[in-house]
Amino acid sequence: MGNNKILNKGLQPDTEKSIEKNIHIRNNEIIKIINSLWQKVRPGRSFLQDLNRHIVTIISILIFLFITIFLFYFVPALQEIASVEKTDITNDKEFKKEVSYKTQISQITRDIQHLSRKYKAYTSGQSYIVINTSDNRFFLFRNKRILREGFCSSGSYTLLQTQEDKQWIFKTPKGKYRIQGKTTNPVWKKPDWAFVEEGLPIPPKDDYTRFEYGVLGDYALSIGDGYLIHGTIYKRFLGMPVTHGCVRLNDEDLEIIFKTLSIGSKVYIF
Amino acid sequence: MLPINSMETEIINDRTGRKKNFIILTFILSAFIIYFSIMSMIGPGRKLAQIKSEYGIKPIGNNLPDERIFSDSTYLKLLKEKSFLQSRLAMAGTDSIYLTINLTDSVVNIEISGVVVHKAKISRNSASKMLIKGNENLILSMLSSPFKISNDYSTIKKEPVMIKMAPKDTSEYKPDIMPDTSVTIPVNFILEMTNGTRIYVYQEENEKFFSRIKLSFFDIKERLRDTWGSLRSLALFKVPEYHPFIKIWLSRSDAKIIYRAIPKHGQVGIYR
Repeated sequence: MGNNKILNKGLQPDTEKSIEKNIHIRNNEIIKIINSLWQKVRPGRSFLQDLNRHIVTIISILIFLFITIFLFYFVPALQEIASVEKTDITNDKEFKKEVSYKTQISQITRDIQHLSRKYKAYTSGQSYIVINTSDNRFFLFRNKRILREGFCSSGSYTLLQTQEDKQWIFKTPKGKYRIQGKTTNPVWKKPDWAFVEEGLPIPPKDDYTRFEYGVLGDYALSIGDGYLIHGTIYKRFLGMPVTHGCVRLNDEDLEIIFKTLSIGSKVYIF
Repeated sequence: MLPINSMETEIINDRTGRKKNFIILTFILSAFIIYFSIMSMIGPGRKLAQIKSEYGIKPIGNNLPDERIFSDSTYLKLLKEKSFLQSRLAMAGTDSIYLTINLTDSVVNIEISGVVVHKAKISRNSASKMLIKGNENLILSMLSSPFKISNDYSTIKKEPVMIKMAPKDTSEYKPDIMPDTSVTIPVNFILEMTNGTRIYVYQEENEKFFSRIKLSFFDIKERLRDTWGSLRSLALFKVPEYHPFIKIWLSRSDAKIIYRAIPKHGQVGIYR
């Protein structure tokens, strides 16, 4: 038995060595085959070197992605965790009975009523018109209720430029305005840009060619700075931003607006 | 030719060098990430301290008000109303167009001088914990004055200006063709306030692949801008600024109307 053990022990290292050698030879053969195939794809390059390089590239990309995701998404989330300082909302009945509490509550209630009255005073019961230049729609209000709504045309946002560096922008002004004047059968006094736009020479200030009849519809309401709410002969463009800054309406809407709004009525354009 | 032994030594040296570099790089990256995280987490605390110093409870004369009132539910409910009204009134005093965001009722209004000219429904919203769950009295004090827009980022132009060269003579003149109203660029924008708060407005219709891609790019661009700002602060050993946020989702048309209506440095009132 003892001898057998010695024999076995003596044989084991040899067997292991031969197995290792076989594996080594096989690995080398596989690498040689892969290398020879790789040489056909990329001549003069070793497969292992290329593999190594690609692994380094992939790891670098992964590290970059990890850092990006960490900075872009994890850090903001961490900040949110850190940002809370809660208020413990109470409903202390004993405290509610105290005079100081009642005084504070009645004071703040009075403040709210006062502020609320002040704010409501801004919306008068008078007639006013709201013009939405994004959707090219109008809303006529009377006594805080919509009286009429429909399509209109507003500024086209065209920037007209000349060779001489003169320029005009055709946009409808936004904000709060008031009706400053009302006209029936308005006549359009063409400004300089109307001639420049058509490639015509600019005539003198009061030249007869500046006056055009019938193009503004039956009525016009002025909101200042030369901007008008008027009618149009280009009804197919209603609902689109095509004007030089004025607000165009169809005949029926214009008539109702003209009759509802008076001088000083508010015009809200946004 | 080098002897085999020296070649092996060179390979081993090369491997050890690479390993060393890798360890150094890993250490630097880890240190940077930890530094960045810690400094970023200090940011919200700094912001809160800043808000506290600006809007915190101040003694009236020599007396401090009874602090129990600032945690009372009835008082806070009323204070909420008061803050919003104060903010709205301050904005109504100007003739400018302003925005009111009511997170409780999920409504956004465009108002001019106290008159609601446009109402839009918020389909969903989310906000910073600091604004939603933070110290009530402090936040409501902050909300009692309007937020002013300092900057904005958007996927659409504020003013869709088209440049047209004037014709030299009548032969060059071409009448205007009908404007193209079918353009459906997704509408997403960010309003950056002077107090550091950011309001994100997204269009709710994002089922189209193009819209999603556009939104993803917009989002990544914003995160990149934010991270770049933080990195710049860190390079100067400063704590990166924390930006409390409100995110709202609206219909595309409402988002577009709001973005185009609100002035570049307009005001916003918030009710939450």
